Amino acid sequence: MKIKKGWIPVFLFPAVALFLLIYLVPLLIVFTTSLFDYRLTGQGMTFIGFSNYLRLFQDPDFYQAFKNTVIWIIIHCTIHVALGVIIALMLYKKPRGWKFVRTVYMIPNIISNAAMGMIFLNIFNPTYGVLNSILKVIGLEHLTRNWLMDSATAFPSVTMTWVLFAGYTTTLVLAQALSIDESVLEASRIDGATSFQTDVFVVLPLLKKMIGTTMVMAATYMLQMLDLIYITTGGGPGKTTTNLPLLLYGVYKSENNYGYANTIGVIIVIMGIVVMTIINKAMKVNDEDY
Amino acid sequence: MNQQARPRESVLSVLKYLFLTLCVVVALFPILWVIMSSFKTNAEILSSGISLPQSFKFDGYTDALIISPILKYFGNSVIVSCFATVINVLFMAMAAYVFARCRFRGKNFLYFLLSLAMVIPMTALLHPVYNVINTLKLDDTKTGLVIVYTALNMPMSLLILRSTFLSIPRALEEAAYVDGASFVRTFFQIMMPCAKGGLASSAVLVFLNSWNEFTFALVLTSGQSARTLPLSLSYFTAQFSFNYTALFAAVTIAVIPSIIVFAIFQEQVISSLTAGSIKE
Repeated sequence: MKIKKGWIPVFLFPAVALFLLIYLVPLLIVFTTSLFDYRLTGQGMTFIGFSNYLRLFQDPDFYQAFKNTVIWIIIHCTIHVALGVIIALMLYKKPRGWKFVRTVYMIPNIISNAAMGMIFLNIFNPTYGVLNSILKVIGLEHLTRNWLMDSATAFPSVTMTWVLFAGYTTTLVLAQALSIDESVLEASRIDGATSFQTDVFVVLPLLKKMIGTTMVMAATYMLQMLDLIYITTGGGPGKTTTNLPLLLYGVYKSENNYGYANTIGVIIVIMGIVVMTIINKAMKVNDEDY
Repeated sequence: MNQQARPRESVLSVLKYLFLTLCVVVALFPILWVIMSSFKTNAEILSSGISLPQSFKFDGYTDALIISPILKYFGNSVIVSCFATVINVLFMAMAAYVFARCRFRGKNFLYFLLSLAMVIPMTALLHPVYNVINTLKLDDTKTGLVIVYTALNMPMSLLILRSTFLSIPRALEEAAYVDGASFVRTFFQIMMPCAKGGLASSAVLVFLNSWNEFTFALVLTSGQSARTLPLSLSYFTAQFSFNYTALFAAVTIAVIPSIIVFAIFQEQVISSLTAGSIKE
């Protein structure tokens, strides 16, 4: 087959240009400007070495945001993924209505986070929100509060806006489970395993790689989370619900300190690499043989 | 199966259905609550958050359209999402085809480089991406958003489309070349129609992602001219001060298109999600 080689660069050009423009150049800017004093009010850019990093490691807001980000990543990789896997394990034997459950459970994942945020802002509203209304009806009026603005409940309340909606995990793990050869399950049944034993000792190990993939997706999702927090609490009260992207956004937009904002950006990029390496090692996602 | 296990299994299966029902309720409740509330009057909303509306009135919807230029934001979202989808799918199909079929020096390295885009947490790059778009004099324009959304969905489309092209038998193209068709003509007239499934799958995902995107819209737009629907939602609390009916109506207007697109193309969405990751 003779292909005119001249067309290859033409066909690749748009993708490569977009990659350079939106990924590579910004990545280089993030790393270099983190070494500069670079502010809206400053006089241009001055090289200051690692001063931004020194400030970072002394900044209590950074520690709070870092801690919140790590906790949310862990919650998402464990509780959220486990929920998705459990539902997938219930659906793969195709009980009546399994497709309906799969479809409906995806809906919170396909509508915009902005809308989800607005919905939860109203569910947790102190005066007319669902939660307080229900508490009043069942006579637990003393428990009602301003869920998103009370420093004791803000963190768990924000977490509730995403942790239960594991539609993507369910869909992916379910697809993998449905592709398991029927004879494997048959063999397990003939050996006298109950369906619970089959799920845990036969099916689950076969899903390990896919579960690893969904954990990476969950971790990346939480590492980038901004919209739901921005709309529901804005990171408050204080900094109790601020994560690294929101801290970066605040430093960038309110403080107009671009060098420092990009230093936080560098930390997020590095965390992405670290988290992925850990999960890949733990779950052996790239392991081909089992 | 032995006899003693039977009752326990049936209890388990009842529990299983209860659990699945609970999941369906958890997934549907927030959306149904908002849609229901959009038909209540302000007084009804304030007196109880969980009562049913007394009558179905569309006042909230007309109020919402009067108070805020929702139709304009809706239009912006349609324009940005459609352009991002078409441009992304066309460009990524071209690149994916070359990666799937052609041999050239540095191919594997280039593909590796482009796949790196998948692992970069994009919120880390908020400021530099704004910088780039600003340098191109495209900040606060729909064109700027289209470029960024086209790029954000690049790794996913590339993955889906490359595996689509790899699965098409080579004989088809060879026949075309024997008949004297050019490279470009073969791509557009033979390969693109064959890759319809993959193209549709990535198009649906790119559209949904672009329609829902919030963070970069927040950074890249300042005025109303390019503001998209999800972003406009964050201004509603202030704009709709105490008109909760209109607020709920506005949220409903923002949510319905995603649900309709998903309802129509759900098989496509599910198959593309799984195709992208299972073959990986």
